[in-house]
Amino acid sequence: MYYFLIQMIGEFEYLILTSAARLGADAYGASIRKEIEKATGRRCSIGALYTTLDRLEAKGFVKTWIGEPTPERGGRSKRLVQVTATGVKKASDFFRAVTRISKGASWTTNRPMTR
Amino acid sequence: MDNEPANDSMISWRRWPVVLWLSGFLDQAEREAVLGDLTEYGESGGRAIANVLGLVVRRRTAVLLERKLWVAVALVVLPVSYLLSAIAQTTAGQGAVYSWMYLNNWDWALTRNPGFWHLLREMATNFAIACIMLACWSWSGGFLIGRLPKAILRASRDVFIVLLASSQLSDAPDRVLQLWMYCHGLPLRPRLPDVHAPITANVFYHVFFPWIVLAVLVVLPAFSGIRQGNQSLLLDWKMRGVLGTASTVSLLILLIQLPGFGFLFGAAVREWLWGDRYVMQVLSLLCFWPTLYFIAVGFGHYRRRRSATAQ
Repeated sequence: MYYFLIQMIGEFEYLILTSAARLGADAYGASIRKEIEKATGRRCSIGALYTTLDRLEAKGFVKTWIGEPTPERGGRSKRLVQVTATGVKKASDFFRAVTRISKGASWTTNRPMTR
Repeated sequence: MDNEPANDSMISWRRWPVVLWLSGFLDQAEREAVLGDLTEYGESGGRAIANVLGLVVRRRTAVLLERKLWVAVALVVLPVSYLLSAIAQTTAGQGAVYSWMYLNNWDWALTRNPGFWHLLREMATNFAIACIMLACWSWSGGFLIGRLPKAILRASRDVFIVLLASSQLSDAPDRVLQLWMYCHGLPLRPRLPDVHAPITANVFYHVFFPWIVLAVLVVLPAFSGIRQGNQSLLLDWKMRGVLGTASTVSLLILLIQLPGFGFLFGAAVREWLWGDRYVMQVLSLLCFWPTLYFIAVGFGHYRRRRSATAQ
């Protein structure tokens, strides 16, 4: 159980893993940021994104590398992201845990919240 | 156009230089990726600055929490900065005395005296040797810092600069007071019973000269050494070993020469070192190894260029 807790990913880590998995070969800093902002409606800072990507990479959940420079970015490179098999497992574990614990909650059944 | 935002970017041209400057604190690869993201994203100027600043602060904070940084500071950066600031203060004091004696008290009548020229030559030579030696020690110290792991190198360099500066600021109140009195035209009172009282009463020698010596003979050579030390990580292990040993030995010789550190060495070593003055002279010669290193590197470049031209 303890092992499960320390290996459990956080909410923001889940958002990054899911965005990167959805984007596939187009997953990189700016595109992941756009996805997260679109999904949450909140601003996502580059600092939070890049440091979390480092953390995910250190845990072995993603692999990142610097791509070729592209003209639409002023001739600058992208930090491309690929979710690893471990990352996919962790994200699906997180999703299942959230789905399980959410069962019966007022916001999932449209029941009025009671005290 | 590599250093400019794309045409459709919202980053204002006025703020782009600030973004570029801030991004300079990031690693080269990350800098490129971040600037590319900002350009593609079309972030507004203020938000672009906040984003880059946020990342820089996060990166710096993360490094400060690394245990290996503080181990490197304790074992390398702190001893090197202490040794260099101590010898820099001694050299600055020596230079201030010579400079005050000759520049502030110049007398044309003395120039007719052969003894004057003899002493001037001797003092100029001594001071020049002391300056070159300080620069070589600083380079060696920088070289050792430059060999620290890349992840903590920048932070170690910053700590090194802070430690050097704080050594100069240790009697900052006195220096600031002297500067204030000088700016208001008040007579500067020498600190008695200082034998160099007339020199320490001079605001240039007391306030500015030590900083000039520190900047020119310590910081600049040390930065060059840090760069070379970092590049030396690409060399083969034998060469790395030779250069690392030369730097360490050089700083140990500096340690021997500083007063008050004799207790670190056994009585037999002290007797051997100071019993025969030639031992110290030979050891001191070893400290000039960076000059040989530069000559060797320059000769290597020359030979490569020459063979390329011949082909």
